Amino acid sequence: MKIQTEVLIIGGGATGAGISRDLSLRGIPSLLVEKGDFLSGASGRNHGLFHSGGRYAVSDPEAARECIEENRIHRKIAPHCIETTDGFFVSLPEDGLEFRDRFLKACEKAGIPATLLTRDDALALEPGIHPDILSAVKVPDGAIDPFTLVLENARDAEKNGAKFLLHTGITSLDMEGGRVKGVRAKDLIHGEEYSIEASYLINATGAWANQFLRLAGLRIGMALSKGSLLITNQRMSHRVINRCRPSSDGDIIVPNETVSILGTTSVRSEDVENFEVTPEEVDLLILETSRMIPKIKETRLIRAYAGIRPLFQSEEQDDDRSISRGFALIDHGKRDGVENLITITGGKFVTYRLMAEKVSDLLCQKMGISVSCSTHLKPLPGAGKYPSLPERLKKMGHLISPEKGEILCDCELIQRAEVERFLKEEKVKGLQDILHRTRLAKGTCQGGFCIYRLLGLLHDLRMAEGDSNEVLKGFLEERWRGIRPVLWGTALKEEELLESIYKGIFNLGP
Amino acid sequence: MHFDLIVIGMGLSGLMAAKTAAEMGKKVLIVGKGLGTLSILSNTIDVLGVLPETVKMKDGLSQWIEEHPEHPYGKVGLEKILEAISSFNSFFPPPYAFQSRNETNSLVPTGAGTLRSTYLIPSTMMKGITLKEKKALVIGFKGYKDFYAHRLADSFKCRAITLSLSETPQQETTATALARWMEQPAFRERIASEIKKQIKDESLVGFPAVLGLNDPMGVKRDLEKKTGASIFEIPVLPPSIPGMRVFNRFKQRLIQKGVTFLLGHSVSKVILRGNRCEGIEILHPPVVNSYSADRHILATGRFIGGGLTADRKKISEALFGLPVVQPASRQDWFQKTFFSDPSHPIHQTGVLVDSSFRPLNEKGEVLLENVRVAGTILAHHHCIEEKSREGIEISTGYVAAQKALSM
Repeated sequence: MKIQTEVLIIGGGATGAGISRDLSLRGIPSLLVEKGDFLSGASGRNHGLFHSGGRYAVSDPEAARECIEENRIHRKIAPHCIETTDGFFVSLPEDGLEFRDRFLKACEKAGIPATLLTRDDALALEPGIHPDILSAVKVPDGAIDPFTLVLENARDAEKNGAKFLLHTGITSLDMEGGRVKGVRAKDLIHGEEYSIEASYLINATGAWANQFLRLAGLRIGMALSKGSLLITNQRMSHRVINRCRPSSDGDIIVPNETVSILGTTSVRSEDVENFEVTPEEVDLLILETSRMIPKIKETRLIRAYAGIRPLFQSEEQDDDRSISRGFALIDHGKRDGVENLITITGGKFVTYRLMAEKVSDLLCQKMGISVSCSTHLKPLPGAGKYPSLPERLKKMGHLISPEKGEILCDCELIQRAEVERFLKEEKVKGLQDILHRTRLAKGTCQGGFCIYRLLGLLHDLRMAEGDSNEVLKGFLEERWRGIRPVLWGTALKEEELLESIYKGIFNLGP
Repeated sequence: MHFDLIVIGMGLSGLMAAKTAAEMGKKVLIVGKGLGTLSILSNTIDVLGVLPETVKMKDGLSQWIEEHPEHPYGKVGLEKILEAISSFNSFFPPPYAFQSRNETNSLVPTGAGTLRSTYLIPSTMMKGITLKEKKALVIGFKGYKDFYAHRLADSFKCRAITLSLSETPQQETTATALARWMEQPAFRERIASEIKKQIKDESLVGFPAVLGLNDPMGVKRDLEKKTGASIFEIPVLPPSIPGMRVFNRFKQRLIQKGVTFLLGHSVSKVILRGNRCEGIEILHPPVVNSYSADRHILATGRFIGGGLTADRKKISEALFGLPVVQPASRQDWFQKTFFSDPSHPIHQTGVLVDSSFRPLNEKGEVLLENVRVAGTILAHHHCIEEKSREGIEISTGYVAAQKALSM
C-alpha cells in the first residue's frame, strides 16, 4: 500500500507521541510508525518518577532546569497522570552533609523549591525511613503514569489529524540526492507492506536510533545503559525517597499507586533487545534501597524489569552517569547533508514535551513556516476529569459493582464488563496492546490467573485470534523475564502453583 | 498424649501414611495446616504421565526405576508402588472409583483445551477420554471465571453453551459454590431442561469438574437420565473439587478408623533428643499442646505446602531444618525460559533419604532414626514434568508408614 505524509515520525515512545501531538496542534500532518506498541522501549520501562530536577541539580544544572520547568507545565496540562507526592532527599550518616549543602544551593540556583527538614520532622512524615538519617530535603518530585500520559498525547494528536501505524517496522529507506524520499515498512503482525513517501522524517527511536540511521548509512555517538528496577508488592512510602549523595546504584524509591519501584542500576549494554536483570543487580538494589527504608529487606517483590537508556555522547566517555541526561537534537542536513532528516534522542521521560517542541521548531524552520508551540498551554484530553485525589477515590468507590460481572483480575479488581467495553472500543492488536492499556497482570500474581481468563473471554466474545495456548505460552515467557529474578519466599510459592497449573493441570509444554 | 505415629502434613502422602498405620492397628495422630496440594492441583491420579499411552504402567515404571534409582519410585520399588495404589483404591469402591483404561495412561481433556496424559481417572471424568471420537457439547456457567466453554469448543471443534446460575444476571460464582448448586435437584432440573433444548446430535456433555462434593456419581447419573447424554467432568483452575472429594473420603474413613485428626493446626516445634524426635508442639495462642510419639512422618510438601522455604540465599526444610540438596546459587535455581527442557533445577531439590525413608545429611548418614520423610518434599523427582505427583505421594506415604512401623 502507498501512503503519503508530510512528516513521518519513527518511534512511538513518549518523544514520538509528543512530537505527533505538537505537530498536530500546529496543523502539520504526520504519520507515526512504531514497530511495537506505544511505549515499548524505555518510555514504558522507567521508574515513573515525576522529576523535580533534584536528581540533576548538582551534576547537570541544565537538565535540572528543564525538569522543573516541565514539572510545572505538566501539573497544569496533565494533572490526572501525576501523583504529586513530593520527594525527600535523605542523608544517611555515611553520606555526611557536605553533599546536602551543595544540593540545597544547586536547587536554589536551578529554581527547584527545596526545604530542609530535620530528622524528626522527616520521620514524622515518613515513618518507614531509616531512623538514623541526618536530615531530609523536600522537593516537588512525584509519580507519573507514563502509559496514560503517552496514550493521551497520541489520542489528542489523532483527534487533530495525526495518523499512526503500530506494529509496523521500517525495512528500508529510499534515498535520492541528499534526501530521504521515503521508506518501506511492513506490518509485523499481518505482513502487509507499505511504501511511505514523506517530505520530512523524524527519528525518535531512542535506543534504536542507530539501527534506523544505519538504513541511511549514518551513525551517531551513543551509549546504551541498562537500568534495572524492582517492584515491591506494597507501597513503601508516601513520597519519593532519594538518597542525598552523588547519583549511584539503588538510590531511589518511587511510589506508584499501590506499589513502589526501587531503582536503579546503570550497566553498559550492547544489545537493545535482549537483556536481563541479574541476581547481583537484584541483591544490590535491595541492599542499597533498604538503607533508606529498612523494611524493603523483608518485602515481597513482584517483578524486576530493565530499560535501555539511550545516552548521547559527543565523544568517548567511560562513566555513563557522567554523560548528560540532556537530549540531543541532530539536524542531519547540517551534520551529514541529508536535508530532511532529524534525529532526537537521549533526554528523560519527563522532558519528552520539551524535546517534541524543539524538534517541531526545527522542522518548522526547515519548512519555512512560523507556527508556535502550544503543547505547554493546552491540557491533555483527560485533564480535569478527576482533578483531585478525593475525587479519584470517589470514583473508585463505585468501581466494583455486581452488574459489571465477575472480577477477572483479583489483584487489581478488574471486572468483566470493563474488559469487554475496552476490547470493543479500542483498536488493539494482541495481548501486549491490551496489557499496555489496562491494569490486568500488573498485580501480585503478575497475570498468572487473569490472562487465562482474558483469553477465555476473547473466545466468549468470538474475538480470539490464533491458538490461545500459544498466546498464553508467549505471555508466560514474557512474564518469566520479570519474575525470575525475584523468586524466593512467597513469590516462589506462587510460582510453583502457577507452574503446576500450566504445565501440570493444563499440560502446556515447550 | 502419646501416639505410635505422628504424621505431619495432611496432603495425599500424609493421608496415605495415616491410613497405612491405622490399618496396621496403630494409634495415629495426623496434623495439617491445610489440605496440601490435594485441593488445589489433584484431579486424577498421575503415576507417570510421561509414559506413552501404549505402554503398560507396570512395564513403564519398572524401566523408569531402573533408569532413575535416585527417584522416590526407585526407593519405593515397583511392587510397593502397585500395592500402595491398590490400598488407595480400597477407599474408593464404585460407583466413584479411580480406574485406568487397560492399565495404561489415557488422555483427558483439560480446561485449557489441551489433552493431558494421566493414569487413574475418577468415574466422573472417564467419558472425557472419548471426546475426540464423539460429538460433544461443553457447558459453561455465567459468572464462573475459571472455565471458558467456548475456548474448549474452539480447541476440540465441538459446540459450547453458557448457562446462567439463576434468574439474577451476572452473579459471580466459584467452583465450590457451583458444586453445591449441582447437588440441588431443582437446579439440575433447570439446567438439564436447558441442555435438552439446546443439544443437537451430541452424545457427550462436558462440565467443569464441579459435579458436587458428596455424591458426584449421583449428580452425573441424574443429569444423564434427564438429558439422555453421557456426562463427563473437565479439570479446571484451582480449587479442585475432585481433590476435595479425595480429602473428604480420607478424612471420614480415617476418623472411623480411630485416627486423631487435627486439621487447621500447624506444628510450632519438634522436640528432639539426640537423633530421635520425641514429639511435637502445636501452638494455639495462648496455649501450647504437646503430643509425643514413637515415630514420626514428615509429609509437609514443597514450597506451596510450606515444607520447603527459600530466602535469597538458600532453600531450607522448614520444620526440622533438614539438609536440602540444591544448586550452588540462586542463579541456578531456574532456567532462562519458563518452558524449558530440561525444566528448572529447583524442582529437583528436596530432602535426601535412605532406603527406609529416614533423612540423611550430606555424608549419607541418618540424621533422625525415628523420622520418615514422604511425599513431594523428597529430592530427585520432578512431579510437574513427569506427571507423577499423586503416585509419589501415595506410594511414599504408604511405604514410609510401613517402614516406620516395622522397626
